[in-house]
Amino acid sequence: MMKILLSVLFTCGTVFLYAQTNVFLIGRTLGEKIIANGDTMRVFGFAPNLSSHPPIPAPLIEANQGDSVHIDFWNVSQLHHHTIHLHGLDVNQANDGVPMLSFDVDHMEHGWYHFKAPHAGTYLYHCHVGSTLHLQAGMYGPVIIRPSDGSNTTWDGGYAFDTETLLFMSEFDTFWHSDSILDHEHDNSAVHDSLEIPRYTPDFFAINGLSDQQLEDTVELTSKTNYVNYFRLVNIGYCSNKVIFPGSLNAIVVDSDGRPLPNNVISDTVEIYPGERYGVLAESGTPVLDSIEVHYFDMMTGVLKDVQYVKVDIQIPNQVAELPNLNNLRLAPNPTELELKVTFDLIQPATIGFRVVSIDGRLIKSELVKRYPNGNQSISINTSNYSAGQYIISITDGTRVVSKQFVKK
Amino acid sequence: MEYRARKKSSKNKVYRVKSTLVSMVCFISFQAIFFANNIDQTLFLNAGQAYCVDGHQMAFMAFNSTSVFEQRNVQLSVEVGDTLSLSVINNDTIVHGFDIKGMIGLRDTILPGDTAQFIFSSSNLGLFIYYDHLNYPNHAYMGLSGIIAVGINEQSFFWNIKDHQSEWNDSLAYGGVVDWLDYYPDYFTINGRSNPNINGDTTARVVGGIGDTILIFMANTGQAEHSIHFHGYHCEILYSTISTSHIGRIKDTFPLKRMEGYVLRLVPDQVGEYPVHDHNLLSITGGGLYPFGMFLTILIQ
Repeated sequence: MMKILLSVLFTCGTVFLYAQTNVFLIGRTLGEKIIANGDTMRVFGFAPNLSSHPPIPAPLIEANQGDSVHIDFWNVSQLHHHTIHLHGLDVNQANDGVPMLSFDVDHMEHGWYHFKAPHAGTYLYHCHVGSTLHLQAGMYGPVIIRPSDGSNTTWDGGYAFDTETLLFMSEFDTFWHSDSILDHEHDNSAVHDSLEIPRYTPDFFAINGLSDQQLEDTVELTSKTNYVNYFRLVNIGYCSNKVIFPGSLNAIVVDSDGRPLPNNVISDTVEIYPGERYGVLAESGTPVLDSIEVHYFDMMTGVLKDVQYVKVDIQIPNQVAELPNLNNLRLAPNPTELELKVTFDLIQPATIGFRVVSIDGRLIKSELVKRYPNGNQSISINTSNYSAGQYIISITDGTRVVSKQFVKK
Repeated sequence: MEYRARKKSSKNKVYRVKSTLVSMVCFISFQAIFFANNIDQTLFLNAGQAYCVDGHQMAFMAFNSTSVFEQRNVQLSVEVGDTLSLSVINNDTIVHGFDIKGMIGLRDTILPGDTAQFIFSSSNLGLFIYYDHLNYPNHAYMGLSGIIAVGINEQSFFWNIKDHQSEWNDSLAYGGVVDWLDYYPDYFTINGRSNPNINGDTTARVVGGIGDTILIFMANTGQAEHSIHFHGYHCEILYSTISTSHIGRIKDTFPLKRMEGYVLRLVPDQVGEYPVHDHNLLSITGGGLYPFGMFLTILIQ
């Protein structure tokens, strides 16, 4: 009996420790995309099913660090071969998606890609067959590896954040999307497909596949003051980008290519080249109504080709006397000296964050997005190293804020 | 062909005076820099025709180790603390210059047929670009730009990255004028070769084993910008000539600005053959054909 119990526990433990993520993708070459001028452009891409056009970028692949990820890739794209290259994930050769060194997938065939999610961070996947052409055609998408516990932190033990925004930069040269260019021949006997590549003169510059008015109508950061906003920047185009954040967002670059930076960089400007990824934390203590600018530079000449804008709307959270789910908020002792105890009752389990700011608005401490059960809760704040003076503690459920003052002796 | 600078000889009298002084300095700092060497190297500034991956020819110039034209520059490699004495002979019919980027007060001009002497040393690991600074960027673009790698180990590899709009090479060779704001290169090379020939260059193609410490010295001596992506591995940036704030970062993709050099450390943790290529995928072309550009593979056994 004990053996059976141990066996069951081992099996459950194994399943728990090695969570599995399954992904299903279909390679397509007859997709359509409406571009910013209203025209329809033919695209290649990865679709989640047969009934929809492949989106650009392709569907997000998401897993937690340590997960086993299995991608079932079907190719339904007439004469074209495709692969999936897992860019930056350092998978083994067999799963690297380079046709001459692993395998490619012919029309109406399918292949499996397997990997164990490495470091938390931002990555890519894209086709590596005739890659200059197939990427431009639209065969790329993001991969996000979250920390082991799946939390809203940049990596295990990294920075907590309240909001997350993916900005995935690319360009479109609509001439390349004509049938005469896209329908290239494939030589099964060749190591590589040898393709004629026309001159590249992009006419649409995109973020998350959208340009100009499409972008203005769709992509924006909407957040609250003192929230930590995490941007995942990705460049899969053939231009270099300069991403310029409003100065009031106090942007800090914290990671790149799936690894924390050895030294954070405080800068409102991030240069990002094709294939690179950057993680940027941004936070404002005051309301912001502004835009993030994304500049596109020709890598041959250095000439600025275009600028796209992402709206930023940061507002003060609604100040309320009480949170509907939170009662009996108390601070003790007040005035305090070494430790402040915050107690409250939750009617329902809730995700609660709190911040302490000095009376002149300086952020002293923040604890974000922690899940609490219902019932009486208690948080202890070490105030021993606080300067004497008045402070405000704000507690939020993500949409509303209740604040109380306390005094450090 | 890699050409490692040889030990000092005593053929050149002027040179011998200079190198004696350098030897004295080196002797004084002997305790700090063990077995620092004085190294002689002669560079012949040659003009000729380079063969592109598809057989197309274009005008080209290079700093070679002999008076016979080769379409790649001499790869100079020294240990930290070594002193490199360079004799540069202008084999061309026009005036050229010589400079090492980042070295103040070194540059000089060289008349046709003349020889100029230069002394270089570095007390730290790094990468330096030597080049013809005259009429910049035209002469450097035509090929006159190479790498000095400082702090090599037993597994060091060298990538001198260039791009060319072949018609412009021919035009510039005959005194033509180009507008760099219209630049659109059609050939992309590493050490003078394009895919698939790069893998035949043993100084460029990384071959190693798991756990090895591999150093890659790479420089962009072309006029386009590049973004070098590694499959299979992340590398640590040990040195950059421009992006100094990037030192210490561990990445899989490395932007290379014009005349920028990096030293990367790769410690492979898995076996396999993995590509390295420019992720500005326009640069994986040669003569307008994919994939005959900046693409090679790493082999870890």
